[in-house]
Amino acid sequence: MKNISLNKGIRAMLYSLIIGLFLTPLLVMARIPLPKSISQQQNITGTVRDSQGVLPGVTVSIQGKSIGTITDYQGKYSITATATDVLVFSFVGYSTLNIPIAGRTVVSLQLQEDATNLQEVKVNAGYYSVKESERTGSISRITSKDIETQPVTNVLAAMQGRMAGVNITQQTGTGGGGFNIQIRGQNSVRRGGNSPLYIIDGVPYSSEEIGNGMSMSVMSMNTNPLNNINPIDIESLEVLKDADATAIYGSRGANGVVLITTKKGKKGKTRFSASVAQGTGSVPHFMKMMNTEQYLAMRAEAFANDGITEYPESAYDINGTWDQTRSTNWQKELMGGTSKITNINGSISGGSEETQFMLSGTYGKETTVLPGDFGYNRANVRSSINHASADQRFKISFTGGYGIQNNDQPSTDLTTEAWRLAPNAPALYDAEGNLNWENNTFENPLRYLKGLSKSKTHDLVANTALSYNLLENIEIKSSFGYTDLNHHESSTFPSTMYNPSLGIGSETSRIFYTDTKRNSWIIEPQLNWKPTLGVVKTELLIGSAFQSQNNTSLSVQSSGFSSNSMIYNPAAATNTSILGFDESVYKYQSFFGRANFNLKERYIINLTGRRDGSSRFGAGKRFGWFGAVGAAWLFSREKLLQDNTVLSFGKLRASYGTTGNDQIGNYQFLNTYTPSNANYDGVMGLVPSRLYNSSFGWETNKKLEVAIETGFLKDRIFLTAAWYRNRSSDQLVGIPLPGTAGFTEIQSNLNASVENRGVELTLHTLNVKTTDFNWSTTINFAASKNKLRSFPDLESSTYSNSYVIGQPLNIVKVYHYTGIDPETGIYNFEDVNGDGILTEPEDKQIVKDLNPAYFGGIQNTVRFQRWQFDFLFSFVKQQNYNVPRTLGVAGTMNNQSVAIVDRWQSPGDVASSQLYTSGANGTAENALYQYAASDAGITDASFIKLKNVSISYEFSERWLKNVNCKATVEGQNVFTITGYKGADPEFAGYGFLPPLRIITVGLQFNF
Amino acid sequence: MIINNFLIRYCTENARVYRILSALALLFIVFWLNSCSDFTEIDTPVSQLNTAAVFEEKNTAYSAMANVFAQMRDNGMLTGKTTGIQKEMGLYADELTWYGNSAQSSANFFTNTLIPTHPTLATWWNNSYSQIYAANAVIEGVAASTKLLQADKEQLTGEAKFARAFLHFYVLQLWGNVPYITGTDYTYNSMVKRLPTAEVYAKIIEDLESAIKLLPEEYISQTRVRPNSYVAQALLARVYLYAGMWPEAANSASAVLNKTDIYTWVTELNAVFLKGSSATIWQYAPRTPTRNTDEGTTYIFNGGPPNSVALTNSLVNAFEANDQRKAKWIRSISKGSITWYHAYKYKKTGSNSPQVEFSIVLRLAEMYLIRSEARARQGELSNAKDDLNLIRNTAGLGNTSAVTQDEILAAILHERQVELFSEFGHRFFDLRRFDALDRTLSGVKADWNNTDNLLPLPQTELNLNPNIGPQNPGY
Repeated sequence: MKNISLNKGIRAMLYSLIIGLFLTPLLVMARIPLPKSISQQQNITGTVRDSQGVLPGVTVSIQGKSIGTITDYQGKYSITATATDVLVFSFVGYSTLNIPIAGRTVVSLQLQEDATNLQEVKVNAGYYSVKESERTGSISRITSKDIETQPVTNVLAAMQGRMAGVNITQQTGTGGGGFNIQIRGQNSVRRGGNSPLYIIDGVPYSSEEIGNGMSMSVMSMNTNPLNNINPIDIESLEVLKDADATAIYGSRGANGVVLITTKKGKKGKTRFSASVAQGTGSVPHFMKMMNTEQYLAMRAEAFANDGITEYPESAYDINGTWDQTRSTNWQKELMGGTSKITNINGSISGGSEETQFMLSGTYGKETTVLPGDFGYNRANVRSSINHASADQRFKISFTGGYGIQNNDQPSTDLTTEAWRLAPNAPALYDAEGNLNWENNTFENPLRYLKGLSKSKTHDLVANTALSYNLLENIEIKSSFGYTDLNHHESSTFPSTMYNPSLGIGSETSRIFYTDTKRNSWIIEPQLNWKPTLGVVKTELLIGSAFQSQNNTSLSVQSSGFSSNSMIYNPAAATNTSILGFDESVYKYQSFFGRANFNLKERYIINLTGRRDGSSRFGAGKRFGWFGAVGAAWLFSREKLLQDNTVLSFGKLRASYGTTGNDQIGNYQFLNTYTPSNANYDGVMGLVPSRLYNSSFGWETNKKLEVAIETGFLKDRIFLTAAWYRNRSSDQLVGIPLPGTAGFTEIQSNLNASVENRGVELTLHTLNVKTTDFNWSTTINFAASKNKLRSFPDLESSTYSNSYVIGQPLNIVKVYHYTGIDPETGIYNFEDVNGDGILTEPEDKQIVKDLNPAYFGGIQNTVRFQRWQFDFLFSFVKQQNYNVPRTLGVAGTMNNQSVAIVDRWQSPGDVASSQLYTSGANGTAENALYQYAASDAGITDASFIKLKNVSISYEFSERWLKNVNCKATVEGQNVFTITGYKGADPEFAGYGFLPPLRIITVGLQFNF
Repeated sequence: MIINNFLIRYCTENARVYRILSALALLFIVFWLNSCSDFTEIDTPVSQLNTAAVFEEKNTAYSAMANVFAQMRDNGMLTGKTTGIQKEMGLYADELTWYGNSAQSSANFFTNTLIPTHPTLATWWNNSYSQIYAANAVIEGVAASTKLLQADKEQLTGEAKFARAFLHFYVLQLWGNVPYITGTDYTYNSMVKRLPTAEVYAKIIEDLESAIKLLPEEYISQTRVRPNSYVAQALLARVYLYAGMWPEAANSASAVLNKTDIYTWVTELNAVFLKGSSATIWQYAPRTPTRNTDEGTTYIFNGGPPNSVALTNSLVNAFEANDQRKAKWIRSISKGSITWYHAYKYKKTGSNSPQVEFSIVLRLAEMYLIRSEARARQGELSNAKDDLNLIRNTAGLGNTSAVTQDEILAAILHERQVELFSEFGHRFFDLRRFDALDRTLSGVKADWNNTDNLLPLPQTELNLNPNIGPQNPGY
């Protein structure tokens, strides 16, 4: 994944900030005609670099004179000066250098990063931005610099392992598949109520799933629209975590806020940039399965155990029908291919003093590791225009992005099939190259590839912001945002998926498809006022927001076609049924404000608040108040510590406040009937939608955080430690009712409480800093505890078997495995209630926590001359399902993990697996299912993964005149260190392609 | 905002105007906010209909009621699917043997080892009251309607009262004393108490008598899938019989049997369960125009061993020699030396087209058996035998040899077993009515005990409604 035009995230960000904040007066001055020529004026040129390459946006001025310029995109500058002048090179985040010209005409140099000045970086907090050092809230941030080293297509993948307390898991290795995100744990009892709020350039972007499980059957979850965001377009990405940062988003801040800022054009001569990357993806690790010898031995022993001496007719693997010397590694055969990955990016940017623009385009293609012609293609175009009036008082900016995704995959994931198949199963193709059915004894796995899961997504996000400076310190502003999403997906199951000898024709062919349209608009007028009240620097903001979102979706199943070639034509189907139809409107209205008081840049208080109204609630309950107070004390600026040589920065901050959640779906408060999809005598039924209750309101989430930020040795060591406690109450779940009420629950605010508490540490160190060699390390770590504090009538609710008071929400209740009965060789479990039989839920009393105990990442950046080396290890301490031990009944015609070789054979044996059975031993079969649902079915799945590695080399500009050129090698999911025996411990999906190892090689050019 | 911007630009240079304008802009924002406080009002979505609107139009009102019948057909105790009482109570009594996994929920019915947390109990209870809620919503919606015609109001109210009575009748049979729900107020309904059995019967009878008055004599549909007054009358006959009100039971059965322009006796056994049978009083409309019955899917198997249920030997052996019902309503499946039997009243499984059978809920044979029993109980032995013999003769058997009242009643119980087997749990309820549960099942079912005559109340119900207890004895 190469960047388009900006390869230095922070610097580029600062570049634009400098233009906006610091350089304006300089530039204005620069346009004043120079004083009449003085002696020996000459043109001085040069290139400014930093440890990682050329440095655009550096202010170059002449000491004592009001003359200045900035470096261009290639770090070059040109200034007129006398031979005795002293040039001053300054840039936020770097130490200022004063260099006497001393008669030279070329002055090139390298600026050193000044860790202390990183505290000057402005962080996007949504409706406002704040200086890093004066931040009162908890905000994690990554920039294009971190994103560009990763060959990923999903924005959540780019965040993985890089932010403390942000837990992201990949759901499938299939191209275009989804990710799960949890910021500081699960807050809502409703599984669907835990998504953060996404804001792209000021426009809320709905992450609600689109599509339907049946119409994108290859995926483990419904389609997530976040795939539409192109990571390469992202300039910076902030995650707001605590009350201080999220309360200004009020009702939608409970699960955190993800702010995405896209790249913008920069003033200066027109720049072109292009990058091309080519690579491969493959499954990094296969589960170790039995070979033919082990497998057939297992089968023979299974039949012997069952007392079966004559192999049944259908036991083709062992009764002589199939060649018993064949040996195929089906995982390699079916998922062991290499996917080809291509990414091409190009951009043009530039602009004048008043107007800047940027146009960029991306094309990406990723084929599959399966045998077949499948792939995920995407294209994005993005444009941005910024304009300011000559006096810089009126500003308008526009950003717009349009993305197209085409995903063609088979409708069935082959992973389970690859595990299941007997290693001596016949060849996939016969001598003529047709699918081999081996005289109707072989269910050829490639039959699944005849069915397709296809999706097409078109997505537009656009935003326009207008602002006007009424007075020097008063700005009025309004932003207008629009999003439009069109998504069509389908999964087909044609009759050709079956053995032709079965005579199944196209009358059985089926297609599921879903059409989703979603659009939204938002208007947010705001007023900013920055008065100085005595010695207190004050920032005030008030604003309001109006948002409307329309959603339409239709899911259809069609079956019975006259020909398989007509499968995409619903008119050709004999049966068509509507699986779901939804047309909904969601409206949202808010009034928000912020007051920030800063005394001597030492004592800061930040007050934020929001009043929200949501159409998801009934009259009288629609509006809710949310707010927070945050405070920071920069104790290192106190006299006592001001000149301390060890402690260079120290800040204590704390925040407390409330946010809310309305993720319950629309119209829950209405008294309505809904079509039941049940036909009675030609009449389609109408069913009461729900018990009528319009008196429920916002779910509330109270967040408390205390944090300390300390920098040592000029901030070469910088440590942030935070403790938080979030409590969610008034949970929007169905309150359990007795059946006689007509419904078993009523939508209301349940007086249940969920707590997430934890610590987050981030340590940044600059280990080595010389001209040629730099090495920095960033470590993030999060440990958290999730707990259901209370839940009235839990025992009678639909959640009775999934939740336990005092335990985390993400648990499973399982049997307690007590070992293998030495006499019978069958798994034994504790009969908790002693009634002699193992029953659910009575005997499932062991609680297993599937939340990670702790997780984090270690990121290193090493630069040596023109080489740069980045790598990120991510680690998770957790438990997960023990897939290799629960792949089905050992001894039946399914292959098994090699772990199952250690089995019970005769009385007295001590083994880890029970006796083999061909399926005739019902007790053993039952015991296996109970084993999968016992504490033995869950195992340690902790891991350390080399998540990302990137090596780049920047060519000397002497080689390519005036072209900045860089070559890169990047890898994702390179290797995993784990004791877990399954395919990938990261991911809980059973039977889905694991995340791929991706290696790409790329070149990028800027000129 | 844009207009504001222009205004402001127009007035540049003047600081005082600035200040005024900035204050105005602020006011403007606040005003905008307040003026739009109804911004978050939304219309009812097109995918849903306001409850009041449903009952202002004939088609949607009929759809609401159709859904009650569709739910009875598809979910809860009265479905012909494997989850309904037809199979489960057959297992619970002595009609069916369980061949499935011992961990599946049906196994507990077969072994009479139900506990209050058994999932099927809550499913039956909750679905029944959910269907009752929907029927009550129809009654209330229709009553409040200003646009529905009187005839439609009467049809719908009659249907809803019939459905309400039907559902309560079976809830009563399964659990004994139960609440009788006649409204949709959940605050009231979630705190209800159980009523004594006699009071529940009184309310069922009141609803059915009202339904008989409200419903027309003719079916409004050709296939007898929406009830007319005789459907309510037929159910009332069953209710009177169960309540021990013999003269009323006989009269109600007669009212149906005498309606010979609609109901005629069918002597061809293989035609009794066809969708056009004239002996059918009420049947469910199938889910699609091509489907056959769920009962067919539930009972029929084509190879051994069965993976779900088969008829018990005691039932198969209960048929007298030459009983044509054994030949035509039962099918045997053999593998090697073992033979299993399944109910074959319905010849087709649900998905097997073309459509020839509907699920029959009330049929004429039961009316004869009700009248026969009611007459026998009142000492009208000769008349009782006439009705019984009609059934026997149709099955190819001679007249009954029973003479005394006790013998005739025993013969009726036997006849009900072989005529009504596999239908709606008749066998279990008959055994209980005849006080024959313990003596019949004790020897056959290892875990049978005398408190198994009622099912346990679902544990969730006891937890959530403090007034519903106590639990039935023995659980």
